[in-house]
Amino acid sequence: MKILYIDTSSSFLYTGIVENDKVVQEEKKEFGQSLSEVALPKIASLFKKANIKPTEIDKIIVVNGPGSFTGIRIGLTIAKVYAWSLNIPITTIYSLEAMACSSKNDKIHVPIINARRDYVFAAIYDKNDKELLKPQHITIEKLKEKLKMIKEYEIISNDNFNSFEKIESYNPDIEKIVNHYKNKGNINPHAVNPEYLKLTEAEESKL
Amino acid sequence: MKDVYILGIESSCDETSVSIVKNGTEEIATVISSQIDIHKDFGGVVPEIASRHHVKNITIVLEECLQKANMKMEDVDAIAITYGPGLIGSLLIGLEAAKTLSFIYNKPLIPVHHIAGHIYANSLVKELQFPLLAVVVSGGHTELIEMDKHYSFKKIGGTLDDAIGECYDKVARVIGLEYPGGPKLDKLASEGKDTYKLPIPLRDDSYNFSFSGLKSAVINLAHNEEQRGNEINKADLATSFQKVAIESITSKVRKAIEQNNIKNVVIAGGVAANNGLRTAMKELTDQLGVELSIPPMKYCTDNGTMIAAAGYYAYLDGRRADLSLNSKSQDILK
Repeated sequence: MKILYIDTSSSFLYTGIVENDKVVQEEKKEFGQSLSEVALPKIASLFKKANIKPTEIDKIIVVNGPGSFTGIRIGLTIAKVYAWSLNIPITTIYSLEAMACSSKNDKIHVPIINARRDYVFAAIYDKNDKELLKPQHITIEKLKEKLKMIKEYEIISNDNFNSFEKIESYNPDIEKIVNHYKNKGNINPHAVNPEYLKLTEAEESKL
Repeated sequence: MKDVYILGIESSCDETSVSIVKNGTEEIATVISSQIDIHKDFGGVVPEIASRHHVKNITIVLEECLQKANMKMEDVDAIAITYGPGLIGSLLIGLEAAKTLSFIYNKPLIPVHHIAGHIYANSLVKELQFPLLAVVVSGGHTELIEMDKHYSFKKIGGTLDDAIGECYDKVARVIGLEYPGGPKLDKLASEGKDTYKLPIPLRDDSYNFSFSGLKSAVINLAHNEEQRGNEINKADLATSFQKVAIESITSKVRKAIEQNNIKNVVIAGGVAANNGLRTAMKELTDQLGVELSIPPMKYCTDNGTMIAAAGYYAYLDGRRADLSLNSKSQDILK
């Protein structure tokens, strides 16, 4: 069983090939604006190094957001076109799920992503990755309100915030994420779409 | 020679389109998913909304096109992709899709400039003759491009400010026509009389254009009339505007034909659908004894067919891109 994992929802490219529950090749690096240029060459080089053909992949797991709108679409387009053209299973997970899943401790996990103007994309998961607060676009103030009721938690993020005392940085454990979500139900590739968790500004101003 | 099938992908603005073209001239199948009704509510294309729809539609459009052509990805010889210019977020969806297919099926990736696509929309109708003058007129472009042979482009002039299509849309808004107002303005112009005096832009020796002055003149005129309590005659203003706008194009085209020994004039871009321009160009080329190519209406808006057609000649020219090809919001056609 060979699974391709793709996450381009931030300025980082996180991608890997997991074969029989072990990661055989991975790339975790910040590329920022050049993500659109490097994502496919980097993915192609994973295959080359692992000596695997693109047609040998059995399943794709792709992060569908939240995060950078443009970033999400890059990895998601690659993933859905890949799965559609070879007719292979595909499933999506939230960036926030991947962040919580990669944590090494037993606390409550609170992954957050900077959404600007005092907003974050956030969710809360227990130590077994069960969802306590579903992924949402929320003000930092409101999130803090919800966190008051939790005794011990860990904030996970790669963004900088002044509003939180301690933040654990995020380094994805691709093997763990893939093994945790590999049996999640498959989606028709046509229906694989980003979860922006936020309307566009043009739509918001119409409300 | 063996037949060459090119799959063309276009997503530079608000149309997601995929097409398969045989030998650069024969359209096998085309699918276009247009978002025009979605953006209408916002009075123009909203880039983020356009990108969101491209990603939703891309595999559906690809599948429909292959089904319509009764072909598989394996049957395609190369993949042509609009890499620019256009809206960067929109371009990226087509680009990543094209690169993914190129990677999986090990097919050559052909980078196509959007304007080359509009020019080659004409080769789907009639074989191009050289030296050729392409009159590129759209919402984002107003350019004169000279070609001595296939896939060789030399820009000899262009707009110094607004594109003609942009000017049409803005003037249409002043007159009170709903977005996209350009085509409505063209229709209205056929119903009025040339009664308003407007300045003819940039009467000089260059091949360049300028439309911002003309646009301002219309806005000021409408404003002044309103202040005086006079109602403007919309049809007459449309007619007067269209006459000046088109004359500024034809006068430069006439000069370019006479000075460069042009055999074939082709019109390219969305404003090629403008009836006033079509008529004026027909008169001009008939008078000068030059071949005129105007793309049929279906190829005037953005489509994958023209990208696949241009892609064929780019393919013959040996143009290839690797998986690091990136989208460009601006790029010179060369």
